[in-house]
Amino acid sequence: MPALILSHVTKTFGHDTNEVTVLKDVNFEAAAGEVSLVIGPSGSGKSTFLTIAGGIQTPTAGEVQVQSANLHQLNSKDRDALRLNKIGFILQAYNLVPYLTVQDQFTLVDRVKPQGNLSPAALRELLMQLGIERLTHQFPGELSGGQTQRVAIAWALYQNPDIILADEPTAALDSDRVKVVGRLLHDLAKQHHKAIVVVTHDLRLKEFADKTYAIMDGQMTLA
Amino acid sequence: MFLALKEIRHEKLRYGLIVGMVVLVSYLVFVLSGLAYGLAQQNTQAITSWNARSITLNDDANESLSQSLLTTKTTKALTLSKHEAYIGQTGVVAKEKGRAKLSAQFVGVDRNQFIYDRVAVTSGHKPKRANQILVDDSFRDNGYHLGDRVQLNSTSSRYRIVGFTHNAKLSVAPVIYGTLGTWRTLSHVTADFKASGVVSNSATFKPKTAGLATLSMSKFINKLPGYSAQNTTFTFMIAFLMVIAMVVIAVFLYILTMQKLPNYAVLRAQGIPARVLVSTTISQALILVVSGLVIGAALTAATVLALPAGVPMSFNMPLLSGVTGGILLTGVIGALIPVRIILHVDPVSVIGG
Repeated sequence: MPALILSHVTKTFGHDTNEVTVLKDVNFEAAAGEVSLVIGPSGSGKSTFLTIAGGIQTPTAGEVQVQSANLHQLNSKDRDALRLNKIGFILQAYNLVPYLTVQDQFTLVDRVKPQGNLSPAALRELLMQLGIERLTHQFPGELSGGQTQRVAIAWALYQNPDIILADEPTAALDSDRVKVVGRLLHDLAKQHHKAIVVVTHDLRLKEFADKTYAIMDGQMTLA
Repeated sequence: MFLALKEIRHEKLRYGLIVGMVVLVSYLVFVLSGLAYGLAQQNTQAITSWNARSITLNDDANESLSQSLLTTKTTKALTLSKHEAYIGQTGVVAKEKGRAKLSAQFVGVDRNQFIYDRVAVTSGHKPKRANQILVDDSFRDNGYHLGDRVQLNSTSSRYRIVGFTHNAKLSVAPVIYGTLGTWRTLSHVTADFKASGVVSNSATFKPKTAGLATLSMSKFINKLPGYSAQNTTFTFMIAFLMVIAMVVIAVFLYILTMQKLPNYAVLRAQGIPARVLVSTTISQALILVVSGLVIGAALTAATVLALPAGVPMSFNMPLLSGVTGGILLTGVIGALIPVRIILHVDPVSVIGG
């Protein structure tokens, strides 16, 4: 059973003459142990797809299932709990709280979700893998774009989610770092049976993907 | 609380300014409350010290002690127990060579009645003869001493200060206690007049004698010249200040919350429950307001120490607790206004298209 299923998902914004259909009858599956890449140009509907997959937005038509739970049937509180426990977001806008040090970002997760997060040893290893182990006492504002992005990745992974939804996770990284992040996501999928969905226009990640989808004008096809 | 404290620690200047604003508001409210209560007390200190329940005055005196005169004929019809006492009140100017002139309230009492016993002496003794007086401590603050022979109004007689008493003010003027005979002299009335009124600490003293009116002490106090007007003015000033404080605090917290919405949107996207963000906002407001109140109270205490003794500032715990609770409540209400925005923050806003 795939961890994430989108069936005939359509998303429309606006009304009448201002109506814009961003996603058109999208069908998508992401299984545990797989890295799925969704590639498309800016404005193609990638982020809308990601927000619908993660239960942040509801589709105009169609269904989204996360580990057999139909998101449409969950109330807002249960969707929050599902996101907190099962889904890790790596956002384009870097999901960091500006007034918390890197270490405190992880402490915040512990306070909201005391169980099921990475152990201190596993966190240390993750930080070393990402090359940010010396930045734990820095605030986000003191980090470079690449460092911020890697901390954001670590933060999403710290919750040890079953599904990771990443929005342009390598946008600010050089080729060497892209390889590190790509390998990390690939290893997480294979060794820890995570379902990983990456929306990007960075073709350098293609070599780490099990499946690649193309999205253009709201329509998704398996490449 | 974790997020609230971390943010305050990181944004010291921003939150310092808000605490500063709460300090100023609470300081102003505390000082105004202190002045209002102090002034109210200076109107009634002497009356309060008598611990009386009612006062009987001439029916035509319009409930004013200074306008009331009870004739000996009228008082003969009264049966006074140990719970009742005659008092005679009149305004006087006290003067003594080399000392400042002081406007005061002369209160004549009978040595054998309960008010005489109720008056507490801080130094010296109570007056035993017609030419002896007991005066409020503020006389000492103005250079008067025990043994001074004071002229009251333009009378030819001199009155010796034989004792001082504490917190004895009536209508914001210091009280001079003496005999009813002296009161008659100072009021230029003959022996046909017994006193200005009768105070009683008994609930059963309700004379039916024609020409007399009995009123409760609380009603009598409210009828003191200027007392209600002063209190109402201060109450309105404090109330308006509280409302303005609420609006200002609410605006500050609203602006702060609006600035934090992108962060909150990110946290909501990650599944952080809205209640965590709401409790962060409210606990942050409480931390800021409580800090401001503590500093404001400390500043007020310092001000009290620095003010000259003549400034009528006084505090009582119920009033202070009420004012503090009011400011705290305004802070919480201010913090609750943006809660709706937090509950509806859209995580999609932080995810590009």
